Amino acid sequence: MSSVEQKDRKFGVKQYIPIAMIGISIAFIWMGFAKYGFWEDMKGPRPGFFPVIISFALLVASLLALVFSFKEKAPSWPLENWLVPLSVVVIMGTTFIIGLLPSVGLYVLVWLRWFEKCAWKTTITVFLIIMGIVIGAFVLWLGVPFPKGLILNLIAN
Amino acid sequence: MENLQLLLDGFSVLFTLQNIGVTILGAVLGLIVGAMPGIGSLAGVALLLPLTFKFNPTTAIIMLGALYYSNMYGGAFSAILLNIPGDSPAVMTALDGYPMATQRKRPGQALLTSNMASFIGGTIGMIILTFMGPALADIGLKFGPAEMTALLLVAMTSIGWLVGENPTKGLLLTMLGILLASMGMDTLSGSPRYDFGSIYLLGGIPFTPFVIGVVGFAQVIKLMEERNKKTQVSIEKLTIKGSMLTLHDFKRLFFPAVRSGFMGTFVGVLPGAGATTAAFMGYAAQKSFKNEEPLGTGAIEGIAACEAANNGAAAGAFAPLLALGIPGSGTGAVLLGGLMMWGLNPGPLLFTNSPDFAWGLIASLFLANIVTLVIAWGVIPFLIKILSVPTKLMIPIITVVCVVGSYSTSNSMYGVLIMFLSGVMGYVLTKCEYQTAPVLLAFVLAPLLESNMRKAFIISQGSLDIFFQKPISLVFIIILIAIMVFPVVRPLLIRLGLMKRKAS
Repeated sequence: MSSVEQKDRKFGVKQYIPIAMIGISIAFIWMGFAKYGFWEDMKGPRPGFFPVIISFALLVASLLALVFSFKEKAPSWPLENWLVPLSVVVIMGTTFIIGLLPSVGLYVLVWLRWFEKCAWKTTITVFLIIMGIVIGAFVLWLGVPFPKGLILNLIAN
Repeated sequence: MENLQLLLDGFSVLFTLQNIGVTILGAVLGLIVGAMPGIGSLAGVALLLPLTFKFNPTTAIIMLGALYYSNMYGGAFSAILLNIPGDSPAVMTALDGYPMATQRKRPGQALLTSNMASFIGGTIGMIILTFMGPALADIGLKFGPAEMTALLLVAMTSIGWLVGENPTKGLLLTMLGILLASMGMDTLSGSPRYDFGSIYLLGGIPFTPFVIGVVGFAQVIKLMEERNKKTQVSIEKLTIKGSMLTLHDFKRLFFPAVRSGFMGTFVGVLPGAGATTAAFMGYAAQKSFKNEEPLGTGAIEGIAACEAANNGAAAGAFAPLLALGIPGSGTGAVLLGGLMMWGLNPGPLLFTNSPDFAWGLIASLFLANIVTLVIAWGVIPFLIKILSVPTKLMIPIITVVCVVGSYSTSNSMYGVLIMFLSGVMGYVLTKCEYQTAPVLLAFVLAPLLESNMRKAFIISQGSLDIFFQKPISLVFIIILIAIMVFPVVRPLLIRLGLMKRKAS
């Protein structure tokens, strides 16, 4: 997990963003002209009119950004940071089986106790605070019907 | 006088138990979120957006307004006690706040100076807002589609151009934000557009999960890098009694705060400038005045100047937001998105069509200013505990709020998916030194820009002349060209200057 930043003239992540934007702008321009229409003499601007103009501007900005990107330092990407998005993917997956609330509860316990190696006292305290906020504010007050998951739905049926 | 009467009417709207309650709640939450380093007002407002769904629009926006406003107070706490600004406008506060707290051993007085100056600056900003808001709305009524298009282009470009070091990146993200907002359905004809055959995308990208992701979730991913850092609070104990200011202290803070309050308010009105620029300008201006101690060594005048300026700017930013529908910052864009979600359309007609809402909100800012001052004072003894919460505990808390909050806006996992994707996008962009505020601003303003631009072209039958024939739009177009050309020309001018110097 190197956090050393370096000036990188090679092709890398810095170039991916402008290149992705170039791709998006070309796709939007093509779809705008071909599918949605740009201008009609009788009707004036069509649905593709505005996105096409903006896409052209995006294309120009992306090309400039691509040129400038070779002069920039390459960022570091600590692998640990990706554990947060990964945990959300796991929460989304387990939601379909055990429901959203048990999933987030389980995530808090696992994250604090096994990943952060917090004491049980701290883990339980934070767990109770979070579940208090979620159940108090979102379930009882806002009345959000959180998904119950396959298992609870099977039991209920 | 009419405005004062309308403001009093606003207070009558405000003075219900629920509205006062949410103002206090917003102020408390704003102070806590603002005080915690690394979260900031933008993420704070975005994360708490789902909690306002239960309220009516007026109450909801009153809470968000109080939250946003009190955040400005909270950002200074960690700047003074830890030398870590809770938010970017508090960067300048740390320059004098931290030395005053540690070297001069007056932490309580530094906090109270910041609170008092914020109160003075904010009050000045709100008084100006009371008179300037309706006046701006009157001007806005004269705007047709061409003028609005030009104004929106100036607002969008200026924030993209001014935020961050690279204007090209700002422009790129502005355009990306507009394109993302154009997905779903064409607002004028109602036909599907860029939905890629998805029933979910047909309704467009939902605003709240998108904002929670780009700002809140991206911030949590970034916080992972700081999770092992230990918060060092060098001050052992803080008491209210030990934080009192002397009359001499108050005299020292008063005039810098008044001066910076005025300056900050006018900076806040400009799109793209915002509270951070105001704080920098307030501090820079204070250097040219006589100070009892040199700035940067713990001078009361330094803390007062930047805190009053950033709170003045926070209040001033509401003038273009309410009167023209133009937010001056990313946080303003989130507030504007919130208003639109509740069916309110800020703009010249807001003061005429929804006076209860507009004046109720302005009145709530006055109340939030007083409530926040009192709470900020009362919270002083607990600040060390609040600031000592380790980052590693904040990560699961914020992650859960992001997941649950984004689910609650759509009652579907689609909201969570949008939050997740936009969060990863926000993180990658931030790591590559792209500032995400322009995406939010563009995302919110895009429908307004599109409808005005298309109407202008229908009127002119496709001719660009419409933007140059009317004086107001012509002025905006000249400003737009200047904003776009200046950053490109500036390095060339600097190089030419250097070459001449070398030759001589």
